[in-house]
Amino acid sequence: MVNEGRFLPTMDLLRSEPMQLVQLIIPIESAHRSISYLGDLGLIQFKDLNADKSPFQRTYASQIKRCGEMARRLRLFKEQMTKAGVSPSTWSTRDNHFDLEHLEVKLEELEAELLEINANNEKLQHTYNELLEYKLVLEKVGEFFSSAKNKAVAQQKELEFQTTVEGSIDSPLLLEQEETTTKQIKLRFISGLVHREKSIPFERIIFRATRGNVFLKQAVIQHPVLDPLSGEKVHKNVFVVFYSGERVKSKILKICDAFGANRYPFSDDLSKQFQTIREVSGRLSELKTTIDAGLIHRSTLLQTIGYHYEQWSLQLKKEKSIYHTLNMLSINVTKKCLLAEGWCPVFATSQIHKVLERATMDCSSQVGAIFQVLETKESPPTYFSTNKFTSSFQEIVDAYGIAKYQEANPGVYTIVTFPFLFAVMFGDWGHGICLLLAALYLIIREKKFASQKLGDIMEMAFGGRYIIMLMALFSIYTGLIYNEFFSVPFELFGPSAYGCRDSSCRDASTTGFIKVRSTYPFGVDPKWHGTRSELPFLNSLKMKMSILLGVSQMNLGIIMSYFNAKYFENNINIWYQFVPQIIFLNSLFGYLSLLIIIKWSTGSQADLYHVMIYMFLSPTDDLGENQLFVGQKLLQLVLLLLALVAVPWMLVPKPFLLKKQHQERHQGQSYDLLYGTDDPLESESQSIPHDEFDFSEVFVHQLIHTIEFVLGAVSNTASYLRLWALSLAHSELSSVFYDKVLLLAWGYNSTIVLIVGIFVFICATVGVLLLMESLSAFLHALRLHWVEYQNKFYEGDGYKFFPFSFTLLTDEDEL
Amino acid sequence: MGFLVTTLIFVVIGIIACLCTRICCNRGPSTNLFHLTLVITATICCWMMWAIVYLAQMKPLIVPILNEGE
Repeated sequence: MVNEGRFLPTMDLLRSEPMQLVQLIIPIESAHRSISYLGDLGLIQFKDLNADKSPFQRTYASQIKRCGEMARRLRLFKEQMTKAGVSPSTWSTRDNHFDLEHLEVKLEELEAELLEINANNEKLQHTYNELLEYKLVLEKVGEFFSSAKNKAVAQQKELEFQTTVEGSIDSPLLLEQEETTTKQIKLRFISGLVHREKSIPFERIIFRATRGNVFLKQAVIQHPVLDPLSGEKVHKNVFVVFYSGERVKSKILKICDAFGANRYPFSDDLSKQFQTIREVSGRLSELKTTIDAGLIHRSTLLQTIGYHYEQWSLQLKKEKSIYHTLNMLSINVTKKCLLAEGWCPVFATSQIHKVLERATMDCSSQVGAIFQVLETKESPPTYFSTNKFTSSFQEIVDAYGIAKYQEANPGVYTIVTFPFLFAVMFGDWGHGICLLLAALYLIIREKKFASQKLGDIMEMAFGGRYIIMLMALFSIYTGLIYNEFFSVPFELFGPSAYGCRDSSCRDASTTGFIKVRSTYPFGVDPKWHGTRSELPFLNSLKMKMSILLGVSQMNLGIIMSYFNAKYFENNINIWYQFVPQIIFLNSLFGYLSLLIIIKWSTGSQADLYHVMIYMFLSPTDDLGENQLFVGQKLLQLVLLLLALVAVPWMLVPKPFLLKKQHQERHQGQSYDLLYGTDDPLESESQSIPHDEFDFSEVFVHQLIHTIEFVLGAVSNTASYLRLWALSLAHSELSSVFYDKVLLLAWGYNSTIVLIVGIFVFICATVGVLLLMESLSAFLHALRLHWVEYQNKFYEGDGYKFFPFSFTLLTDEDEL
Repeated sequence: MGFLVTTLIFVVIGIIACLCTRICCNRGPSTNLFHLTLVITATICCWMMWAIVYLAQMKPLIVPILNEGE
């Protein structure tokens, strides 16, 4: 339809790919495989034919739920592997393709096995920790009793000695001793472990509860103990409490429970102590062996899972996306086939045919899938075929807005103009070389970086490596033009054009040099550097340069709008948008550019500000000393009239012509080429949605657009002066670092100071000029492209082609 | 006169670059036209940059004046 009128040759990236709305009718038995193969192909964007249904009403909701369950199991495996220090292997090149049922069963079995192993290990570990504590109790309390026994023996000997000395008077004392011995037999004790931080309150509360009628002894355990309950390492004390009576015992037991103190039985018989220790040690070693075997088993299982984890994750993602896509399809009433609609590039038609045929054969399906192209009035999605070089530039344009279908793509010229404008601001061929080395490093290590995870900033730098390379190359070029190598000028292309007036050179610092040779052939003359008049000269040069470059780019933008109007056969936009815009811009700012060039060529001393101002204020007055060429007054009058005419020209006719066009279409008087291929009845029905034509709304829209363009011409031209501002900032900063850091350090005639100076210079150059300044220049170049350039022609109200593709799927980390 | 000579040099370099691009990266008329557009745009940008600076220095209104003490 629209393409019939196209006679310009096609060019990559200028127009988005031709798209078509296609319909697929797929038998149920081959639907899954067909969608799978289309996912591998990645060239169809499916429409959701079941948008009105809730997720649970969709055909394959149960399958998606199962996928979710499997994803949960895989996340559990991932967590367990992370704890165990097992990393999933990345070599899953072997393509063992399990079907969904098989994978589900396998994951279920593995989960059950893993959970069982974990439970067993946990139980064994619990028992092991308890026995370990028991052993500690046996050792410490055994020490208590041995010590007590030794003291008792010593005391007894002493008592016997006294009995012998005192003779018959000791008879009552013996009786008392007998009574004491009788009482001692009734004492009991409780032994166990308590947390060290709780030991003091534990002791205090026991004393208070029993009114001091107990004896408590504690000993510190040097190493942390694994707590049976929490499984964590805790500092603990061994305690033993001697008491008398059942009521005291129950109190002590409650207090032990409250403090979480674990109690262990202990026999005061020495031989039994040794026997118990031996038994516990034996059981400990047995359990240790069993636990180690369990851990090895678990590690082996996790490694086995790790071998397949990546493969399973990827396959599960695919299956889930397949079922989500199948849910978009409309199921036939006979339950035999699925209806799908979607957008695909025209060039992909044959590929899709092959894929569908392959799916049919692989499934041994009786009926093949049907593929047909539908006619539609809908606006297709926008799809640009880019490669690794052009994709980053296209991203810059897409960040502003996605192009309308087949709209002229600013990305074509952005590939050159974006790094060029960056270089105008960044120009220094020393810094350009540094930037180029960084970009080449990223490009040379392309394969390695592409396959690994980078940080956020590094990811952006890597993604834009070709932009950085072009920016660096253009920076080297503009650095040669500005004649700055880390702010130092060189006479690379011949001698300077300036020399002294006489041999004594006394006038050099008063009236300055004179031009004694022809113009320096390439770039800024090196004699300007460091002179008092350097800044006025460079400011004047760069401001005028900004105007010239800005007007050029804006004109390019308006020319692009012509190509858009031409392409869409919109004559109204050609004659009542493009033509007056070109006239307006060039009557004023194009004329200013012409004046700049004439002034440079003739060496005139005319003040361009006055020329432009009085062109408006008093266009009929004589120019006087500001005249640059013959007939200037007349030309200015003509240009002024043209500019004044251009404004109503782009404002008034378009709404009326649109209204007239609408009336003609509504009355059916005109044959509209847009509907040429349609049925006349359908054409009539299609025009019903366009029945309403609000003239005032269209007029106001056109008024806003006109005002925006007229005012924008002024502000956008001024906006390009940022090229001068950024360039000046970069140059001055570079000079400051060079003069105040490097040369100053050099002047001290000290090696240490020189090394420090070099180090500071390098840090300042890299940190401020290469990183901050390049980011700043990048952002300003971005703004100049988005607003000043694309604003002239780019609508950017399309939507991006987002195909169903497994390749896009692998980039997502979340399972 | 120097202006015209160097402009001619830019044109020649541009033509050579177009031919080299055509020879080295021949991938169909659509892509070739794309590459041609890029080369021409780059040549024009570089020429414009050079020409602006050259014109500004052809007949300057001010001259370099050294700082006192140099």
